[in-house]
Amino acid sequence: MSLHSGIPAAIEADVRRGERLEWWTLLWIGSVVVVMALVMGASQAMKSAVIEDVLSLIPAIVFLLSVHWERKHANSRFPFGYRRANSLAFLVAATALLAVGGFLAYESVTTLLRQEHPTVGGITLFGHTIWLGWLMMAALVYSVIPPLILGRIKQPVAKRINDKVLHTDALMQKADWQTGLAAIAGITGIGLGWWWADASAALFIALSIIKDAVGALRQAVAELLDGTPRALDSNEIADDAKALIAALKARFGDGEVRLRETGRYIAAEVDCAPPAAVPTAAELMGDKAWRLASLSFRPE
Amino acid sequence: MRYRFALAFTALLLTGCDGMPRDAAGTTEGIERTHTMRVTVLPGTPDVRPALALLDSYARKHDARVTLVAIHGEHAHKALEDGEIDALIGHFAKASPWQADISLSKPVARGEPDDKHRPVLRIARRNGENALILATDRLVAESAQ
Repeated sequence: MSLHSGIPAAIEADVRRGERLEWWTLLWIGSVVVVMALVMGASQAMKSAVIEDVLSLIPAIVFLLSVHWERKHANSRFPFGYRRANSLAFLVAATALLAVGGFLAYESVTTLLRQEHPTVGGITLFGHTIWLGWLMMAALVYSVIPPLILGRIKQPVAKRINDKVLHTDALMQKADWQTGLAAIAGITGIGLGWWWADASAALFIALSIIKDAVGALRQAVAELLDGTPRALDSNEIADDAKALIAALKARFGDGEVRLRETGRYIAAEVDCAPPAAVPTAAELMGDKAWRLASLSFRPE
Repeated sequence: MRYRFALAFTALLLTGCDGMPRDAAGTTEGIERTHTMRVTVLPGTPDVRPALALLDSYARKHDARVTLVAIHGEHAHKALEDGEIDALIGHFAKASPWQADISLSKPVARGEPDDKHRPVLRIARRNGENALILATDRLVAESAQ
């Protein structure tokens, strides 16, 4: 692995696992979109759920693209390599999550304000006319299962490879299955004659998605502005970054130590003369040595 | 918390699924209570008979009778939206501009025309009155067979 290119051997297997999970995501969520579109009818809740599912494919796509770029070697046009593609993908994924939350909130609020009474009529299959709501609920139950499983599998992988895009995608899967449950509650509400239940359930979920998205966006912006590395699931400084700052200060005095994140990697800069023996990444970061991509010294 | 929500939701589903779907504004209950189903026929609907027969059969099942309410032109759509009448019979295209505001049935006593802009005999119901909509959808499907 060169300093600015490629994926370290320590995480290569997990990155490949992440890629496989994202291909599975595209396959399963793609099938969910098809099934839901077939029974969508005129239901606004179902339309929202389908659009939400289509948008939820964005993090998986940008993860696959960013890993592809991360493997490319540095060249004269991009001498620092393409590792920051992950930072850009994170911004796109967080924006997609916000778009999903914003879209659901807008749809729910306008439905409530207009007091729209959702109509779900009958569908004739094999000579029998049944309530379309039952088919919608069956499709929604199917739509809940893949994201519930995939999201849970992705979280530990995202943590091991410190991938915020994969983590945001796991959040998107959470949004997916929660929206599915909200839509089931909504269709049930329509069935019970509660016209407001559908939109109210969707609004509740939308606010939770927006909260996650705003958190992710703050982290993405911090990363692109060379902020100190943030934790995977919050805007707090990452624990390994705090430990690295402490280790560098312990070795090189109380001078300024600056860390920034390039995708999943950390670049450190210390305000002191270059030492005779530069510590290794393993000495400074232990198990997470692969995270330290560069260490530079800046004499006064 | 999540499991409690799932349990509460399942309980709600089991108690509610027996009578699903229901009407959001209680049209079916209104018909049963007043023993009257208020129906308007749009002008220029010469082939109204099968649709009226269908609604009459629905009304009788609910111990009610169809009462024709005379309303002119566009006011009829508004009257349906406002719940002043229970059903509206007329010629509507599949791609009718009223499609979002009222719930149109499939064509009565015939198949869906290839041209979605061609008006054919349909029954319009108030949006959200899903029990009435499903019941009439069933009758329309039976009449087409």
